[in-house]
Amino acid sequence: MNRLTASGSPSDATVEKRLTAVAVLVVAVWMILLTRLFYLQVVQGDVYRISAERNSVRTQRVDAPRGVITDRNGEVLVGSRPSFDVMVVPHETEDVPTTLSRIAGLTGRDLETMSASYGDPRGRARFQPQRVAHDLDRDALARVEARLWALGGVLTQVTPVRGYRYGDSAAHLLGWLGEIGADQLGRKEFAAYRRGDIVGVGGIEKLLDTDLRGRPGGRNLLVDAHGRELQLLSSVDPEPGRNVVLTIDHRLQEAAELALEKDHRSGAVVALDPRSGEILALVSHPAFDPNEFAIGIDPERWRELTGDPFRPLMNRALQGQYPPGSTYKVVTAIAGLEEKLVGVQSVVTCGGWFKLGRRTYRCWRPGGHGVVDLHTAIVQSCDVFFYKLGVELGVDRLAYYARQLGLGSRTGIDLSGEMTGLVPTEEWKVHRDHTPWVEGDTVSLSIGQGMNLWTPLQLASAYAAIVNGGTRYRPHVLKRIEEPDGRVVRSVEPEVLGELAVSPQTLATVREGLVGVVQEPHGTGSVMKGLPGGVLAGGKTGTAQVVGMPAGSRPDMETVEHEDRDHAWFVTYVPADNPRLVVSVLVEHGGHGGSAAAPIAREVVTRFLEGEADLYAGN
Amino acid sequence: MPGIDRRLIQNFEWPVFVLGLAVSLVGIVNLISASPERSAANLIPETAWRQVVWMGLGLALLLATLLLDYRTLERIAFPFYGAVVTLLVAVLFVGRIVNGSQRWIDLGPMNLQPSELAKLALIVLFARILARRSATAPVGLLDLAIPAGLVAIPAALVVKQPDLGTALVLCVVSVSFLAVTRVRLSSILLIGTAGIAAVTIAWFFFLHDYQKERVFTFLNPERDPLGAAYHSIQAQIAVGAGGLFGKGFLHGSQSQLDFLPEEQTDFVFSVLGEEWGFVGTAFVLLLYLGILIRGLQIAHSSKDLFGAYLSVGIAALFFWEGAINVGMVIGLLPVVGVPLPMLSYGGSALLTDMIALGLLMNVSMRRYIF
Repeated sequence: MNRLTASGSPSDATVEKRLTAVAVLVVAVWMILLTRLFYLQVVQGDVYRISAERNSVRTQRVDAPRGVITDRNGEVLVGSRPSFDVMVVPHETEDVPTTLSRIAGLTGRDLETMSASYGDPRGRARFQPQRVAHDLDRDALARVEARLWALGGVLTQVTPVRGYRYGDSAAHLLGWLGEIGADQLGRKEFAAYRRGDIVGVGGIEKLLDTDLRGRPGGRNLLVDAHGRELQLLSSVDPEPGRNVVLTIDHRLQEAAELALEKDHRSGAVVALDPRSGEILALVSHPAFDPNEFAIGIDPERWRELTGDPFRPLMNRALQGQYPPGSTYKVVTAIAGLEEKLVGVQSVVTCGGWFKLGRRTYRCWRPGGHGVVDLHTAIVQSCDVFFYKLGVELGVDRLAYYARQLGLGSRTGIDLSGEMTGLVPTEEWKVHRDHTPWVEGDTVSLSIGQGMNLWTPLQLASAYAAIVNGGTRYRPHVLKRIEEPDGRVVRSVEPEVLGELAVSPQTLATVREGLVGVVQEPHGTGSVMKGLPGGVLAGGKTGTAQVVGMPAGSRPDMETVEHEDRDHAWFVTYVPADNPRLVVSVLVEHGGHGGSAAAPIAREVVTRFLEGEADLYAGN
Repeated sequence: MPGIDRRLIQNFEWPVFVLGLAVSLVGIVNLISASPERSAANLIPETAWRQVVWMGLGLALLLATLLLDYRTLERIAFPFYGAVVTLLVAVLFVGRIVNGSQRWIDLGPMNLQPSELAKLALIVLFARILARRSATAPVGLLDLAIPAGLVAIPAALVVKQPDLGTALVLCVVSVSFLAVTRVRLSSILLIGTAGIAAVTIAWFFFLHDYQKERVFTFLNPERDPLGAAYHSIQAQIAVGAGGLFGKGFLHGSQSQLDFLPEEQTDFVFSVLGEEWGFVGTAFVLLLYLGILIRGLQIAHSSKDLFGAYLSVGIAALFFWEGAINVGMVIGLLPVVGVPLPMLSYGGSALLTDMIALGLLMNVSMRRYIF
């Protein structure tokens, strides 16, 4: 208690005087509050009571029109279209069940679904129109409108819905819309979003949602107790979303899709400009129709989509990982040339098989290719040549060059969900399997079988670097973002990821081989011969084993069960001397690359060359 | 137990206890009405039940507080402050985000809001600092620099969450201590200048656009009738429509038809106003006034300076939260997120209020014990 005496008594003079003043101040403030309350509640009470009874102000949200997505030529891929809806205002409808069943009769819609979407509105919702039928056709709309006079509380309304002009075309790339999830609402990046908001769920719709969505506006309406709008008090116009221009060329996209769909095959096509990384087509098949999501997908259809064994929601172009097959041979060739283990003069005699220890590895051509040099080995896709070279190089040197080409890691495309693929190394195998790497693994690896995994996008991107002289560009689908008035907000420039540490001669040698694949006799890519305008192409076929068949007994693929058949690859570029287009094609379980995948690539390339011809003719 | 002796029980602080309990009970009844999920089958909605549980917990804490001599707090004032600042830093990293603000630390069944504890920590800290200094010389500028820094740290952390309302409460409660301190005139002038400078800096560097918008809207309600002013207009309509006797429990059309924003938390007073009228609002305001006046009396009769300053701080907390919240609901102040003590829904806030009441009672009950 010494402290107390030191600092004076508790009822120290200052504190005591001040406490009285403070008490007076507190009472004064409370008097102000009470006076204001008296004024509001007693003096003005009747005014406010009327205001409340008229139910005062109703705030209606006015959604902003979502931005349009176009292809590089201004072709609208995603816009909006009108949807005719039937609404019921609970408060104004005397007998809701009867009204609903009459609407069901007029529109041919299911009564149960209609009751479900009407729900059980309470409170303020009873004064607001509830949507019971969405997206009526014109006939049904006419039937409802003709009987509106007898249907109290029913009204029709036009609302814009997202329209994907070409149905399932480029569905994975464009994405789709859905209601915002509860988990998203809690996150900081969604701070501006509210429950019930529609957001992009996949692809560009998701990635650029904040640009596309715009800013909703609102209207303050004075309404009476029956929900009737008495007066528009004020309104804030919505700000429309920004428009997005993609690098996609719809004509190529369509050509690729048609070609891939022909035999109901699953697979992917990637077409890109090797000079910039701009993606001209990005196809994954089977696909889905994003329009189904735009009006709210029905749960059964959703289960069907997610449960489909062909996985239509997966974007195979960047999420499908497949062994590269013989398209890998360029990696072995580049590594061999750079490490000086092979020259343009070196030859190997292919007798149709390669022996390592006690195992024999077959060449795909029974009887062998005879004496082959590197060029012939690429042209005719001789396995034995690359077995030998691969074993001399070893797995880690192969991996070094594969990684240079961007394999085994994401290309960095401006779409989410991209997979990394796989480039195995000795260390990786020890880590995963706890068994050491054996030379036999390298044999399979050097012709692209075994543990390598690439995505169709990685293949296109790697070949783009080989054919453009060694520059790796980041592949991208976004060209620019524009304000509704056309002002450019963001423009995507080509981004160089790196230069290959490979000599120009090496790349030139490999390219000569790739042109030979198409142009020379016995080349595996002869499907690409004779393009419009006499344009020369280069390319490489690939056939990726799905199940290991006993060595030397590769059966005819036509006789094998579908899911055990090989994946077919083809990658090509035009024109051979100054490439402007690289196309990679993967057909799942398609069999041989040259016969299953190459014709699809030809369709895309032909469409591209025709398009260029149109352009020049137009000039 | 050493803490309880007969005199402690004889001196039980009934006025604060009864007034505090009364406000809390009004709060529960009002929350039943303010819960939109209430239906015929679910007469007492979950929010109200949760508040009942919080209140039970709060009462237990209040009584537990009485066992401890409040002078113990004087010794742990700095560690307490340090712990709260640590929690405030932690919440910026691991806090749960609700409606865009990061205020809560997830403790499993409950969420802790450290900014509520910060109110108590600052009150205890300033009571200690003031009690230990000589009361004869007036306070100069230098003596104020350190306390200013001590407020600035938690206040800045709370603004970062962002929770402008709580930061405001931290500042005004701290400044309130000056009301019972002798300060040099020159210092007052300087503080005024510094205050204006601080507001300017906060305006340009710390305030979010929506927070600035609220200030603009208060100055000119026509500016944004769809946004911030909507809250204010709807709240005033609700309170005004209550009239003298109110529309009756569960019969407020504004509240029941969901026209009111934040009707369980910051705007809960408007539900009270609509359903219980001027009679109800005046009753609740008088209960608060009772606590405030009694709090100042306790400060006056406290046996030591620490107890006196502690009581003043607690009274200041209730005063500012009450005045700001009610002032906002009835259109006298801009819309700021400040809860109404013991009436707004919120566990951490209710616990803080109960502990504060407990401390007030504690000071009162030990005024004769030496």
